[in-house]
Amino acid sequence: MIKLSISLLAATALLMFNACSDSSQTKKEEATTYKYNNAQVYENMCVNCHGKQGEGVAELDKNGKPKGPALNKQEIYELKLAITDIKNGGLNQSSGTDHEIMEHNYKAIKKKGMDYDTDSMAEYIYNTFNINK
Amino acid sequence: MTHYNANDELLETLIEHQNEMSRRDALKFMAISPVAAATLIGTTTAATEAIASDAKGKIVIVGGGLAGMSTAALFTRKLSNPDITVIEPDPKSVSYQPGQTLVGGGVWDAADIVYNRDDFVPSGVTLIKDKVVTFDPENNKVVTAGGLEVAYDYLIVATGLVLDYAAIKGLDGVITSSSDDNQAVKAKVGKNGVYSIYFADGAADTWKGIQELIAQAKAHKGPEKLQALFTHPSTAIKCGGAPKKIMYLAHARLEEAGVRDKVELTFLPNGNNMFGVKEYHDAILEQFKTRGFKWLYKHNLIGIDTDTKVATFMKHWLEKGEWDPILEEYEMNLRSENVDMKYDFIHITPPMKAPSEVANSPVGSGKGWLPVVKETLQHVKYKNVFGLGDIVAVPMGKTGGSVRKQYKVLVDNVVAAMEGKKELPAAYGGYTVCPLITGLGTVMLAEFDWSNKPTPSFPLDPTQERWIWWMLKTKALKPMTVYGMLSGRA
Repeated sequence: MIKLSISLLAATALLMFNACSDSSQTKKEEATTYKYNNAQVYENMCVNCHGKQGEGVAELDKNGKPKGPALNKQEIYELKLAITDIKNGGLNQSSGTDHEIMEHNYKAIKKKGMDYDTDSMAEYIYNTFNINK
Repeated sequence: MTHYNANDELLETLIEHQNEMSRRDALKFMAISPVAAATLIGTTTAATEAIASDAKGKIVIVGGGLAGMSTAALFTRKLSNPDITVIEPDPKSVSYQPGQTLVGGGVWDAADIVYNRDDFVPSGVTLIKDKVVTFDPENNKVVTAGGLEVAYDYLIVATGLVLDYAAIKGLDGVITSSSDDNQAVKAKVGKNGVYSIYFADGAADTWKGIQELIAQAKAHKGPEKLQALFTHPSTAIKCGGAPKKIMYLAHARLEEAGVRDKVELTFLPNGNNMFGVKEYHDAILEQFKTRGFKWLYKHNLIGIDTDTKVATFMKHWLEKGEWDPILEEYEMNLRSENVDMKYDFIHITPPMKAPSEVANSPVGSGKGWLPVVKETLQHVKYKNVFGLGDIVAVPMGKTGGSVRKQYKVLVDNVVAAMEGKKELPAAYGGYTVCPLITGLGTVMLAEFDWSNKPTPSFPLDPTQERWIWWMLKTKALKPMTVYGMLSGRA
């Protein structure tokens, strides 16, 4: 019975906590120190497929698809969503990712110590390359 | 923190009675939780009313589901002179969608989740019973199907999403969860082994389907097992856990009937994991193994022949290409092929998308969803347009639990904007909760946010299946949502 009551307390406390918690708190990505800055990561890892100016590489790969899509027309929210999708392998429990190949490549990039922050990389790409802003 | 006082009383009651409280008593206690919820939520009232803003402006909310109606209610509490209009065509828009899994699993009746829009329109709020078909953000107005032009100072988009059954070859219909206008879908779904809990009628039919499967299993002879398939599409979906929850419940019902060994249960998601958060992924995988479930990743349902009972999946994989010296890894090429699978029972989670009225309008986006700054929920282009709920383009977050965090953020930010403040003060952090039903009497309460880590509200191992979370799911969350959120209090 004591165990039950403790569980009930837990549920009640959970409700309380949520009812009273401050919704204005933002949880950022886990604080991580990155070895290289965004420009260094971009120059070393991204240029090959996304181009020096984020213009993409139109050269077709064996699947008849452009090697890397252009990033210089994407809005900042699109870049943030796409990078989140890539890093998490999707935006939903089991829906999978829209970026299956890039998800694979990201793992290789990370393994090489070239990991990057989602929001700050999106801002870097937008601020440096976007042609519509 | 004065608003903890009433909660303390509740805790004291529990502590006082902990020795005599049986499981049955606990059930009773939780059953009266509207009172508990009211106690909990009533306490925050004073604080919010004390800081009601004098800011003025006409607010139009498109969509009166859980997100839109809760937002309307909270505005009436935060503004001293609220001028709020909600536009919603569906008379059952505020029905309790999180209960559809429980209806499908035969735990609740269909009537347990039906709530009428007109009973939940907050006092002082104008309701227009019509559908918005045109968004005209340049001129700050929307137009309804009936031709009514509604002008606004601030627009809140809370239309929700649509279930795109028609995207699966062999099925028809693009519908919402609670609307009665679902005949096209029901032509094929809800009978002959094809089921889907994602709309209210479909949930009730799913329970019939599970009972039919049990009857079929009881009569089944021979070494080959009956095949039950559970799909998960490639699009973002509302309640990401439901495709699995209904599988757990079907398993529990088959086991209860003593025929679990006659049926093979297979989960077929488009993605290649069980959950984006590793801790939950690992826990679910173990739960699957314990229950003898099969799973095939990277299978996306694209067609179904309901006459021959064959489902067609697009199976996709990466094939090794040339060595990439920059990545120091092989290049990958995307490959796919179609795979046909026989079924005796299939639970379909349909692809989901933004309603075309939003997707193809100036406030929509290439992918349809409403583009907002994910923290402030303000539209990326139109500064007097905000959005929340299933329609917004944010990572994860298509759950009632997310809305519960979002609507407070949105209201704070809109009020600040109305007051002429430059900075929007509130930020959404991506909180989502998935009470993953893993059996009749167990739930794993998976809470997480954009940190992609478990974010439990209480110091209990969040990867464990617990009876107490089952109690929370089946007894406490509905009153908290219906009486708490829809009145802007929880």
